[in-house]
Amino acid sequence: MINYLWQLKNNSGIVFSLAFCLLFFGSCSNKNTSETPKKMAIIISTLNNPWFVFLADNAAAKAKELGYETKIFDSQNNTALESDHFENALVSGYNAILFNPTDAEGSVVNVQKAKAAGVPVFCMDREVNSVDAATSQILSDSYSGCVSLAKYFVKQMKKKGNYVELLGLVGDNNTWARSQGFHSVVDNYTGLKMVAQQSADFDRNKAMEVLESIMQAHPNIDAVFCGNDAMAMGAYQALAAAGKADKVKVFGFDGAADVVDAIKDGKIAATGMQFPKVMAQTAAIYADQYLKGKKDFPQKLPVAVELVTKENIEDYAAFGKKE
Amino acid sequence: MPHSEKKNNLTIKYLLGLGAVLFLGYHSVYFKKLDEVRSAANKKFDAAAYAQKFFTSTLTPQLANASGIQELIQLLTISKDEAFEKYAYATAVGSIKYFLVKGTGIITAINEDEISLQMGNQSLTLATEFIYGNAIRDVTGLFDITSFTNTADINNVSAELNKIVKNKVIPPFRAKAKVGDKVAFTGVMELNSARLNLDNIEVIPISIQ
Repeated sequence: MINYLWQLKNNSGIVFSLAFCLLFFGSCSNKNTSETPKKMAIIISTLNNPWFVFLADNAAAKAKELGYETKIFDSQNNTALESDHFENALVSGYNAILFNPTDAEGSVVNVQKAKAAGVPVFCMDREVNSVDAATSQILSDSYSGCVSLAKYFVKQMKKKGNYVELLGLVGDNNTWARSQGFHSVVDNYTGLKMVAQQSADFDRNKAMEVLESIMQAHPNIDAVFCGNDAMAMGAYQALAAAGKADKVKVFGFDGAADVVDAIKDGKIAATGMQFPKVMAQTAAIYADQYLKGKKDFPQKLPVAVELVTKENIEDYAAFGKKE
Repeated sequence: MPHSEKKNNLTIKYLLGLGAVLFLGYHSVYFKKLDEVRSAANKKFDAAAYAQKFFTSTLTPQLANASGIQELIQLLTISKDEAFEKYAYATAVGSIKYFLVKGTGIITAINEDEISLQMGNQSLTLATEFIYGNAIRDVTGLFDITSFTNTADINNVSAELNKIVKNKVIPPFRAKAKVGDKVAFTGVMELNSARLNLDNIEVIPISIQ
């Protein structure tokens, strides 16, 4: 024992060094375990529409499942507010941004700002007009979805009749992708005549007002093609008020709850079912993979849109397939 | 050195210097017509040319690898997942997939938008009017979406491929098709893996004999 104490005394320098190392590495280890979890910001064009709320909630749920802290930011369809959200997300140290842009052109600068700060951005559902700003853009295949919808439209109309087209926001690429997909089919049939084409901003009330106004000039219409389901419901309301709901076929796009019910009830002819859950989850998974080292992602990843009609409505629920 | 000789040497030096300046100046700049520069800047993706090359060089050689449609339907009935895993392709994420199939059948009806065939116990239709969508583009799994940055270009490839079939494959077939004829076809069958329906099989033909 004496010999041992002597050795300890003589080796006190080594002992203290070892103790210091243990304390140092111990504190490092403690630091690792208490390190702040990584964070994903979810910036959404508007939460004043259940479809986008569903998108945001699913992105947040998947990110949380993957071990991230999340916060949802509502841009209220305002690019200036969206810009503030990006500033906040970058200053607050968010590691990735899951993004539903407000404007295909106006949102590019925000994505570029994040890229410059080394924060990857993954677009969901809506795209930005840049091929290298976002790490990846996971988008509904709106064009092809409306090609399917248009085939059904032509068959239902038996290749003839007068129709109205209600467009969405003119600054949104989805508005034109849907319209172009639809016309790529319908314009091949000379018996189908578009008597009016007008924007109703993806808004239900505006769609009702716009269609009421159009019907003053064109009382004899056979169908209305709408760029989203909210406008389809507004168009249906206008037709019902005019006593024409049974004669005029209404077509929407989205797969919203009220339109799924309206298809069951025979009020709406068809819609293009989008899959916001698939887009939101894919964006979160891609962001996680990026933060773990993967850097090779498709610039644009289309997510299929499915035609929903009274023939297959039982397979679908709001915003997707029946679970 | 006489003064005149010195002056000559100086002139030669100036001429050589001027020549060098002109030589370097000429090779430092170049001139192009503004129209040419503008047209190069606005050069668009030629979807029709791309589609024609894709149809000839990528799609047509793959037709030999098409699955027999009756065997495939049997496999889909027994083991749906295996059939989709081995033989189906699509560019978009989702449950809609495309199968490259071939078969031989007897024409039972010629309708405005399609032609009906009977193959033993199996009946199906060959689409002749509604040739739209991504079926032809995606069915081989060889269309590389990552080489495109513009969504419109991706869609235009489908539209142009569809035009090739609608304008070049369908018309000569419909012109001579009669009920009772025997037809050998290769084409695309679209199925939804989430709600498989094998009752109303439709094939978009790519090659018909």
